[in-house]
Amino acid sequence: MKSEKTTIAAAGILIGLIAAMLVFFGNPANMGFCIACFLRDTAGALGLHSAGAVQYIRPEIIGLVLGACAVALATKEFRPRGGSAPVTRFILGVFVMIGCLMFLGCPFRMILRLAGGDGNAILGFVGFALGILAGVVFLKKGYTLKRSYKMPALEGQLYPFMQIVFLILLVVAPSFIHFSEAGAGPGALHASVAVSLAAGLIVGALAQRTRLCMVGGIRDAVLFREWKLLFGFLAIFVSALVVNLILGAVTGTAYFNPGFAGQPVAHTDGLWNALGMFLAGFGCVLLGGCPLRQLVLAGEGNTDSAVTVLGLMVGAAFAHNFGLASSAEGPTANGKIAVIIGIAVVAVVAVSNTVRRSDA
Amino acid sequence: MKEYIATFYSHYGAVCFKKNCGKLGLNAIIMPVPRNLSSSCGTCVKFQSREDQFPQINEELEKIAEICGNSYRTVYSAEE
Repeated sequence: MKSEKTTIAAAGILIGLIAAMLVFFGNPANMGFCIACFLRDTAGALGLHSAGAVQYIRPEIIGLVLGACAVALATKEFRPRGGSAPVTRFILGVFVMIGCLMFLGCPFRMILRLAGGDGNAILGFVGFALGILAGVVFLKKGYTLKRSYKMPALEGQLYPFMQIVFLILLVVAPSFIHFSEAGAGPGALHASVAVSLAAGLIVGALAQRTRLCMVGGIRDAVLFREWKLLFGFLAIFVSALVVNLILGAVTGTAYFNPGFAGQPVAHTDGLWNALGMFLAGFGCVLLGGCPLRQLVLAGEGNTDSAVTVLGLMVGAAFAHNFGLASSAEGPTANGKIAVIIGIAVVAVVAVSNTVRRSDA
Repeated sequence: MKEYIATFYSHYGAVCFKKNCGKLGLNAIIMPVPRNLSSSCGTCVKFQSREDQFPQINEELEKIAEICGNSYRTVYSAEE
C-alpha cells in the first residue's frame, strides 16, 4: 500500500513536469494538458464547431489513449466492456464539457492553472470539490448506472483505432481538417506533434498504471478516508509549480503569475468559475472518473468511457456553436443558462439512478 | 478465518454486499480496489470468512479473491 502511494506521487511529479514543459515547448499558458480544451480543439479541427481560435487535432489526446491502450495490452488489462447506461453517460459527458468550458479547463488544467498562480482556479476548485461531494451523497445512497458487460474485442479496439486515424489526419492535414491560423488563439499554440504525442503516450501509460483520477482523489478521501489518489493530484500541482518557477528563472519569462486578472485563457467571474466546476465535479462522480480517466479507460477497451468522451466532444461543439463557452471577457448569458440546466439534468440523473436501500 | 476481497461492477454492488456481510456477522470493510487486483477505480469489500462461506452473490459481483500474502487467488469469477 505504501509503495502504491510512492508510485502515484512519483507519477504525479513526472506528469506535472511534462505538463509544465509542454507550455515551454509551445502549448498555451497553463495548458500543458487540458482534456476539455484539447477535445474541444479536436472537435473544431473535425469541423464539429467553427470557432476558428480553437481548432487543432491535439496529439496529447491521441497519445493518452494509445499510451493507456499499449500498457493495458501489455499487462493483460485490456478488457473490452460496455453496456452500462451509454446514453446517460453520453449526456453526462455533454454537460461535464459545458461545465468545463464555463470555467475554461478540465480538472487537470484546474491544477495547472493553480500551479501557474491563477487565483480564479481556487474558486473553480471550491466548486469542483462541492460537486464531488454532491455526487458522493448519491453514491452513498445507492446511485448506480448498473453493471457493464464483456464486449467483442473489436468493439473495445475501435476507439483506440480512431486515434490512429486522427493522427493520420493530423499529419496528412487534408483541406477538410480545420487548423487555427497563427495568432488566431489557443488552437494555434502547440508543441510539435512529436513532443505532444510523446507527452501523451507517457502520461497515458502512467495514468493507466496508477489509475490517476482528479475526481477519484477527493471522492476516495471522502468515501473511504483513502488519500493515495489525492497524492497524485497534489504531486502534479507541486511539480508543475516548481517547474514553472524554474522555467521563469531560467528563461526570464514568468511562468508563475500569481493573481486573478489577466490570467491566460481564464476569466475572473468567481461564481461562474465555481458553478462550472461544480457541474463538472458532480457529473464526473456519476461517470466514475474525470475526463482524463475516461480517456484512459477508453484506451483499456471500456466502450462506456469511449461514449462518454464522444459526449464530451459533442458538448464542446454545442458549447461553441451555441455560444456557451466562456472567454477571457467572462461567461456568456447562454453559458450561464446551460450550466444551470446542466446541474438540473445531472441532479435528475443522480436521483433517478439511485436505488433505495430497501430494494437491495 | 480467511481474508477475501470482492470486486464489483458498481459501487452500489459493493454497498449491498457489505450489508449482506453484516447480516451474516462477517467482518467487512468497504474500500478502493487494490491496484494489483484490478485496473478499475471501483470499490471493493474486504471481508473475513470461513472457506466457501460467502454472502449471497448478486449480479453486481465481479470477483472474489482470497488474500494470500501479497498476491490473490480468485475463488469466484462472474460469468460474463
